[in-house]
Amino acid sequence: MSSFTVKNVNQIFGSGTAKVHVLHDINFEAEPGTLSLLMGPSGSGKTTLLTIIGGLRTPTSGTVTVNGVNYNQRSKRQRDALRLDEIGFVLQHYDLLPYLTVADQFTLVDKVKPKGSLSKEQLTQVLDTLGIENLLHKYPNELSSGQQQRVAIARALYPDPTIILADEPTAALDSPRVKVVGSLFKHLATDHHKAVVIVTHDPRLMAFADHLYEIRDGVLTKQPLK
Amino acid sequence: MFLALKEIKKEKFRSGLIIVMIVLISYLIFILTSLALGLARENTDAINSWGVEKMTLSSTANVDLRQSFLTSKQTGTLTKNEAYLGETPVVAEAKGHQQQSALFVGLKANQFIARNIKLESGHWIKHSHEVVADTSLKLKGYKLGDKFKLADDKTKFTIVGFTKNAKLNVTPVLYGQLATWRKLRGITMGPVASVVASKNSQYHNPRSGTKTYTRQQIINKLPGYQAQILTFVLMIGFLMIISLIIIAVFLYILTMQKLPNYAVLRAQGIPSKVLVSATISQSLILVASGLVIGTVLTAITGLIIPAQVPMAFDMPILTAVGLGILIMALIGSLIPVRTVLKVDPVSVIGG
Ligand SMILES: Nc1ncnc2c1ncn2[C@@H]1O[C@H](COP(=O)(O)OP(=O)(O)OP(=O)(O)O)[C@@H](O)[C@H]1O
Ligand SMILES: [Mg+2]
Repeated sequence: MSSFTVKNVNQIFGSGTAKVHVLHDINFEAEPGTLSLLMGPSGSGKTTLLTIIGGLRTPTSGTVTVNGVNYNQRSKRQRDALRLDEIGFVLQHYDLLPYLTVADQFTLVDKVKPKGSLSKEQLTQVLDTLGIENLLHKYPNELSSGQQQRVAIARALYPDPTIILADEPTAALDSPRVKVVGSLFKHLATDHHKAVVIVTHDPRLMAFADHLYEIRDGVLTKQPLK
Repeated sequence: MFLALKEIKKEKFRSGLIIVMIVLISYLIFILTSLALGLARENTDAINSWGVEKMTLSSTANVDLRQSFLTSKQTGTLTKNEAYLGETPVVAEAKGHQQQSALFVGLKANQFIARNIKLESGHWIKHSHEVVADTSLKLKGYKLGDKFKLADDKTKFTIVGFTKNAKLNVTPVLYGQLATWRKLRGITMGPVASVVASKNSQYHNPRSGTKTYTRQQIINKLPGYQAQILTFVLMIGFLMIISLIIIAVFLYILTMQKLPNYAVLRAQGIPSKVLVSATISQSLILVASGLVIGTVLTAITGLIIPAQVPMAFDMPILTAVGLGILIMALIGSLIPVRTVLKVDPVSVIGG
């Protein structure tokens, strides 16, 4: 079964002459264990689609189903809970609260979601594979940007979501680091069975992808991977 | 609570700054409250110690005990609930002492006011030239048995007893006999007392030339009393509002800086109520810590302040004031809370 399904989604911003039809009848889904890239020119609606998948934005029309649950039938609070349980966001900035140590970033999740997150052993394992097991007592400002990103990935993974959504995770990184991050996301898909969707301009990530999608003029098409 | 404590721990300097402000403001508010209360007591302690509910004065006295003279026709016959009281300003003069302004209050020993006055030392007046004095005279060096002159009276007066809290309008009271009051006033016939006081709250004197007031009406008319209290109340009120603004502004700035982080947390499914309670508890923790330190400073001040300074530390009142400041902290966090509630997770996604 797909982790999420986007069906006939349209997104229109504004009205009258300022009306922009950003997304046209989008159909999109992702399986667990796969990494999908979402590419396209600036302003084509990639981020908009990602926020719709993540339940942060209700599309003008169409439905989004996450693990069988339709957002439209859920209250705001239930959508919060659904995001907490099913979706891990990895963003470029502000993923980590500056006044929490790495360990406390995870504790915060425990406060909100007492059950269902990774066990201590599983977390240790994730931290080990990410190479950040020694950073637990550091504050974000004591970490390099690469380390921060890896902590952010671990943080997104901690509530054990089924879907990982990332917006331009490599925008600020040099080539070697792009490779590291790319293989990390790949690892999340293959070893942790997540459905990973990455919005990016970065062709270097194509080496790690299972599927490639392009949005152009509001239309989503599947592209062959070179 | 978790987020609030962690943030305070990490941002020690900022939190310290806010706490220092709250300490200063709460200390100032506590001290002003104690001063206001102390001053209020120095104005009213004596009246309150008499156990009086109603007082009848001359209708022409402008609610001023010193200006009131009642004839026996105007007082009528007293029941056991009523008492005569004669009041006159005097200056005590004695060798080795500075002149001392005081209020002479003449009473009848068998009436209820005299019975309500509790002596700290010595005994009640037995002769015409004996007085029971306010304990503040002790601070000025007077002792039991000391003598001084009052007004033009040639015979010296002897202090035979001391009583606490005998201050009226910030002036120490000397209790003596009612007959002595008449003598000091130079009255040979006519008026028998300044006022008739009653412990019966229903008491009313209908006789012409008299007017009956409640205790509070008399207190409110004490010279300068309301102006003093109002000044303090205004200052305390302003300080409360200043503390509200400081808390609101600081918290707002702190919250604004965190909004992108909060937006990410919201995107990750952390409920708003967690962020709202973090904001409110941060405000309450900071203000409560400031209050605790402010209270300690106030207590230290209370210990070292000279007895002449009219300060009264009253726990229930200071607690109420402290609660007031806490309520200001709550209100002050409402504006930041509003921004937290409005944070849009979409705003931080994209690039
Ligand atoms: N809240 C909004 N109101 C009006 N128009 C919007 C809004 N959000 C996005 N848009 C418009 O929708 C279009 C798509 O925006 P979106 O951010 O999804 O593009 P993107 O593909 O992520 O671009 P980039 O690669 O630059 O990040 C843009 O033309 C943008 O101006
Ligand atoms: Mg974008």
